[in-house]
Amino acid sequence: MKPTRRDLVAGSGALLAASTLSVPALLGQSRPRVVVVGGGPGGATAAKYLARDSQGGISVTLVEENETYQTCFHSNLYIGGFKRYDEIVHRYDTLASTYGIAIVRSRATQVDRDKSEVVLSDGRRLPYDRLVLSPGIDLNYDSVPGWSQAAEEMMPHGWKPGRQTQLIREKLDAVPDGGTIVMIAPPNPYRCPPGPYERASMFAHVLKETGRAKARIIILDPKESFSKQGVFMPDWERRYGAMIEWLGPKVHDGITSVDPKTGTVVTGFETYANCAFVNVIPAQMAGAIARDAGLAPADGYCTIDPATMKSVVDPTIVVLGDACQAGDMPKSAFSANSQAKVAAMILRGELVGAPTFPARYINTCWSMVDTDDAIKVGGRYEPRDGRIAAVETFISQPGESAEIRRQTQAENLAWYDAICADMFT
Amino acid sequence: MLLVASPVEAAGDRALGAYLAAECSACHQISGRSRGGIPPIIGWPEDQFVAVLDAYRSRQRDNPVMQAVAARLSRDEIAALAAYFGALTSKP
Repeated sequence: MKPTRRDLVAGSGALLAASTLSVPALLGQSRPRVVVVGGGPGGATAAKYLARDSQGGISVTLVEENETYQTCFHSNLYIGGFKRYDEIVHRYDTLASTYGIAIVRSRATQVDRDKSEVVLSDGRRLPYDRLVLSPGIDLNYDSVPGWSQAAEEMMPHGWKPGRQTQLIREKLDAVPDGGTIVMIAPPNPYRCPPGPYERASMFAHVLKETGRAKARIIILDPKESFSKQGVFMPDWERRYGAMIEWLGPKVHDGITSVDPKTGTVVTGFETYANCAFVNVIPAQMAGAIARDAGLAPADGYCTIDPATMKSVVDPTIVVLGDACQAGDMPKSAFSANSQAKVAAMILRGELVGAPTFPARYINTCWSMVDTDDAIKVGGRYEPRDGRIAAVETFISQPGESAEIRRQTQAENLAWYDAICADMFT
Repeated sequence: MLLVASPVEAAGDRALGAYLAAECSACHQISGRSRGGIPPIIGWPEDQFVAVLDAYRSRQRDNPVMQAVAARLSRDEIAALAAYFGALTSKP
């Protein structure tokens, strides 16, 4: 037996009361089972906090197809030459050995919500009492005319970790002095709002450091404005002169087409032929498993209850990170990590009667502009009026001292160490 | 490895402190490790922990991340955090 949706929605008070007695008994088994799909910042954090804080009271299974996790965050530092690739690769071993999390190396392909089971690519089925979905994003390969999955080697996105990250670096290394890089930036909402602009900074840094300062980087943006624009743009001017040119939709008048074979980008305003490197960052949506389960629109993200991170469609399922629509929170690793802790607290309350507290969230996004020079934006967030709303915000200012920027970069590096330790150790 | 150095507080405080501390641990490693940039915050005397957060609340100290964090914490919550982190110590 498992609680029906009505039990959970209408009877949450009764469930809470029951949970202080014996929820596993309510669920008709010895240990409640949580299956976590996706071993990124949302899933790994949720699995660890559920297993660690329930001290074995909850059976936690983490489904992840990859042996290692390669962080998208700080992949720009690899591209910029500030980190080695192995420094952004992490393993799941400690989650298994220290916290007793069952790691299932497989791809979760489907959620059978009627049976409360996750279906794996090899046909196995994992029953759950609660499901944590943290599948990240899928790319919309149809969002840029002329581009496709078949073209992602020639015009890489670099928006999923792994080979794509390395391709971006290889293409950058091959750009001649005087060559043109075109970056097609994504429409909102997308993973890592300042990511494309930090990446452009890293492109310019590498080109400048390697005697290719006559190369130029043209950012074609479908958005009228972007995260930290008021800081990035004066910094680009100061650091890199004319190397980086940002064009909004009123100027470029839309992307008409790209031709991966010839390295051509055609806009309503101008044609860029023989580009040395075209970086297409397409539109994005929740990972297929969440959309196919009916938790999100066909090309969109999952709506969640801001107090619990539960899907508004199915309250036995929590959706974390990039796949959910989290109000004012950006799609960042930090956000996913923060959301996972709220979800773990709520699920422990339901499943083993642990104390629960009001949801509160936090995020900071650091971006490197150049050596010893980083900027940040972030805030604190709480449920308000049915959504996750910012209650405190901050952002770096243009013209800050070199010392503040150096400190901000030191924070950026220390944060990476801490959040990876928080997720994986 | 972590050791709890002193007896835990009342269960409510301890649970509140543990939940609130999860917000801190995305940046401050609970092992106490740090390469600089973000300081370790474990094993501090509780009154010092409270005083430092108060300094961020009153904006005497100027890190905007910590100002945003401290601005949303009540006295009880700061006390719970001070007790939680104060009781943590890294293994020698």
